[in-house]
Amino acid sequence: MTHLLLAAGNTAVSTPSVSYHALAPIFIVLGAAMLGVLVEAAVPRAERFTVQLMVTIVGLVAALVVVGLLHGTRTTTPSPTGNDAFFAGSLSIDGVGLFLQGTVLALALVAALLVSERSVDVGSPIVASAAVVVGSADDRRLTTADRVQTEVFPLMLFAVSGMLIFPIANNLILMFVALEVLSLPLYLMAGLARRRRLLSQEASLKYFLLGAFASAFFLYGLALLYGYADTVDLPGIFTAQQTSGKSDVLLYTGLALLLVGLLFKASVAPFHNWTVDVYVGAPTPVTAFMASCTKVAAFGAILRVLFVGFSSAEWNWRPVIWAVAIASMVVGAVLGLTQTDIKRILAYSSIAHAGFILVGMVAITKQSTASVMFYVLTYGFTTLAAFGMLMLVRDPDGEATQLARWSGLARKSPVVATVMTVLLLSMAGIPLTSGFTGKFYVFRAAWDTAGPLVVIALLSSAVAAFFYLRIVVMMFFAEPPVDSPTIAIPGWAASVALTVGVVVTIVLGVFPQPVIDLASKASYFTG
Amino acid sequence: MLAPYLPILLLFALATGFAVFSVGIAPFTGPRRYNKAKLDFYECGIEPTPQPMGPSRFPVKYYLTAMLFIVFDIEIIFLYPYAVANKALGLFGLVEIILFVATVFVAYAYVWRRGGLDWD
Amino acid sequence: MSPVALPGSGQNVPGFGDLPIWLVLIKVLLVFVFLVVMTLFAIVFERKVVGRMQNRIGPNRVGPWGTLQSLADGMKLAFKEEIIPVLADKAVYWLAPVVSAVPAFLAFSVIPFGPTVSMFGHRTPLQLTDLPVGVLVVFACSSLGVYGIVLSGWASGSTYPLLGGLRSAAQMISYEVAMGLSMVAVFLFAGTMSTSGIVSSQDHLWNVIPLIVSFCIYAISVVGETNRAPFDLAEAESELVGGFHTEYSSFKFAMFFLAEYINMITVSALATTLFLGGWRAPWPLSLWHGANAGWWPVLWFVGKVVAFIFVFVWLRGTLPRLRYDQFMHLGWKTLIPINLVWILAVTSIHVLRDRGWPAWKATVLPLGIVLLLIVVPALMAYEGYTARRLAAAAEDDEDAGREEPTFPIPPLDLRVPTSPVRREPVTAGLRGGATALDRTIDHGDTSDG
Repeated sequence: MTHLLLAAGNTAVSTPSVSYHALAPIFIVLGAAMLGVLVEAAVPRAERFTVQLMVTIVGLVAALVVVGLLHGTRTTTPSPTGNDAFFAGSLSIDGVGLFLQGTVLALALVAALLVSERSVDVGSPIVASAAVVVGSADDRRLTTADRVQTEVFPLMLFAVSGMLIFPIANNLILMFVALEVLSLPLYLMAGLARRRRLLSQEASLKYFLLGAFASAFFLYGLALLYGYADTVDLPGIFTAQQTSGKSDVLLYTGLALLLVGLLFKASVAPFHNWTVDVYVGAPTPVTAFMASCTKVAAFGAILRVLFVGFSSAEWNWRPVIWAVAIASMVVGAVLGLTQTDIKRILAYSSIAHAGFILVGMVAITKQSTASVMFYVLTYGFTTLAAFGMLMLVRDPDGEATQLARWSGLARKSPVVATVMTVLLLSMAGIPLTSGFTGKFYVFRAAWDTAGPLVVIALLSSAVAAFFYLRIVVMMFFAEPPVDSPTIAIPGWAASVALTVGVVVTIVLGVFPQPVIDLASKASYFTG
Repeated sequence: MLAPYLPILLLFALATGFAVFSVGIAPFTGPRRYNKAKLDFYECGIEPTPQPMGPSRFPVKYYLTAMLFIVFDIEIIFLYPYAVANKALGLFGLVEIILFVATVFVAYAYVWRRGGLDWD
Repeated sequence: MSPVALPGSGQNVPGFGDLPIWLVLIKVLLVFVFLVVMTLFAIVFERKVVGRMQNRIGPNRVGPWGTLQSLADGMKLAFKEEIIPVLADKAVYWLAPVVSAVPAFLAFSVIPFGPTVSMFGHRTPLQLTDLPVGVLVVFACSSLGVYGIVLSGWASGSTYPLLGGLRSAAQMISYEVAMGLSMVAVFLFAGTMSTSGIVSSQDHLWNVIPLIVSFCIYAISVVGETNRAPFDLAEAESELVGGFHTEYSSFKFAMFFLAEYINMITVSALATTLFLGGWRAPWPLSLWHGANAGWWPVLWFVGKVVAFIFVFVWLRGTLPRLRYDQFMHLGWKTLIPINLVWILAVTSIHVLRDRGWPAWKATVLPLGIVLLLIVVPALMAYEGYTARRLAAAAEDDEDAGREEPTFPIPPLDLRVPTSPVRREPVTAGLRGGATALDRTIDHGDTSDG
């Protein structure tokens, strides 16, 4: 009986061949995350922080080096063997994927340094014990104790590993798994702020609930697309559009729902509602991590879905991208104007920037792919540094994010004010900063196909420039408040992180050509 | 295809019938002598402690156990098909399953050291 | 995308599913009667054996040698008054015993009693049904049984049942993990999850010999899974009165009792199927050619099941109950890690042998790695334990500001007054305990002799 069963089943099972070397960056980051969990279990509390930081940095650097070594790879894995094509080619390691992986890793490295900053607040920006009831005696004790929590490092690495898979997934199921792997740690990390615990917990819960909705949308779209194409592979869906005789309703509804899930992660209006509250409630370094790395990964996934799976249906999705891009830019710019809190302004600015990035996606060309990749890189570094700067201006009860508290900052600390000015000018898109070059390339790529959209984008960036410049003007020309906030001296980690952010912002503004060449060279898909 | 499940269904019907009949018939076969104390909750004769209503009847600790159980039950669910298809999957399967078990083991070590398995 | 077909999935096990419906009905009835009779037998058997172990005779009044005692007890329960606490959640309270009993019966549907025999002119296996995922049915049913217990504890709305139900839920899911893991190695050896397939894969060697570790873990974990002594914390009568069924009486109580004993029989039958060669004759008997044919195997099967039940009773007669934390400690911190490491070792040996490695090399290498895997973490754990104790001490210092509750402690040099020479006989004190005593008798007199 047994032999019968085995004989009947044996032919259907064959082992796939995975090119492990091409996936090495993911394995390294995941391995470092697992090591981090073990460190958490085995290393005594006193040494834990140092060891965790070492593991994180070494893991991220090693993965970055491997991504560099892999340059020029064009491969999909696992390769199909025998008659079993299940999950074959579900990961494609190509130029776009590697460039975005490298970007995520570089940004995560900087964000990890920000997370590990311990000089500006007692302990660290991360709460030592997130489950303590707010307002209880234990909670009050935590605010003064210098205990730190180190689980945030493995959590971050897990999120990064999801972000590494997200932009290279050619298979929608795998893409969904990556989406969850990157989201779940982020939900948790959003609730770990040391100060304003209630806001932080609220942010975490909001993010979790809305994220779960978005995941459901994604899954539903996936199911409809599977109904249409009989496959969840993006190239397979592409082929099915030429051959399938099924109703297009399935295809377009599926794509629409899929995009809702992805645009949610990229915080594009009208799916942006979570963004501001979560960015404000989350610990500032975590916000920086979310605003930079998550965006890179999410736009990477959107790029792949649209350019690999639906490039022949561009006439159908282009109006949608137009609409959400305009909505995002307008919402970000206009609502940003009305804010009085710098963290909220930066959050709205990130929504507006998501719109600018989408502008680059209306044309399916090598140039537009490259411009989007370049833009997420520049924006990532700028926003990381900008959120990092927020950590330095402090009141007794935490960061002073009220706009009024920042007035006259230049008199107290010219360096902080100047650095912040550079970053804000970059976000506004003033020449000689990376923000300008990024916008320039995105708009140029979109100009031929979508001239009016570019005009709207220019207008809204002019509106957005107003509120960036308002901060600059306040810092330099307004009177400081009587009890002006203190300027914390950052430790080595935050210093390095902020310096890197600012230097990249300036260098890519003045001398962007090598990176643009790299992005153009890398703007190819396989799959 | 579903024919082998038919006997299970029949046994289910028989067992349910038996259980429902027995439980249902009990009020009619037994005597009924009213006594207020008898209908109270039993707590060794002392005045019964008021019970919390709703889900708060279960301490949080038990939810933790339930989550751990789910983690390991899912591990088992992955191990079963592997064990059955072990011959066909060969060395590849072995490496993958060792990686998988090692991953869960890391989580297990973490939970252990963080006191998730301690009881009082 | 082609669907992945794992061995055995999607196909029926040959020999099942093509029987006439009347024969299926007869088999269903037989399984049902077998379970009820085995329950009645097991209860008397247990009381007799425990009696002997405690130098008593055990039940000896009803029927020849007291063999009809459990039948009489069951009859008596039917005519007992049914008491439902006023504040109980009526629907759930009513449902819980049913939910507890039904899966217990169902689990037996895939247990093979014997080989193919001729029954009323049909060639049919002595087994109700078999599925490619047969053992999973047992596994699923044993999980469903937890619901009955949790619901009964919850619905009673009373302290002791709630505690008992909670304990039992935590305990059953904890030991289910160990139980589930211990079966993996069996599936590995058999290459199938169908129970008949597992029995036929043991025609040369019973699984208990190569998989002794799995067998031991299975045997320990099913004691926890069935809430039997020494792991009967859910109904620890000295702590929780009756545990989850404190508030139950009459036939509802009988249902829980029935479920417990059927579960015991089921896990014994599963142990027989998975590890003890199923219905195959034990060694000296297997030399006789006809031992594994016809209706004889039913005898071997029942014999093995009763032997396993004897071990259950023996444990109960011998071992004191564990403390709850010790019990959970055993399940989570001992059985599970040993199980995982053991599975990896067995798998490695299996795969390496398949790939043509010499047997000794294929055995020594994984075992070496396993030893390394055990020794190193053990050392780490020891080191970690001391470190944690130090850390805990440090934290205690941190928390020193908190008020420690103080308990009144009697003076240690208390002089005990000498007792008076003559005392009056005490009679008044007994009355207070009478209610509790009555109730225990009402519920407990079927449980032991």
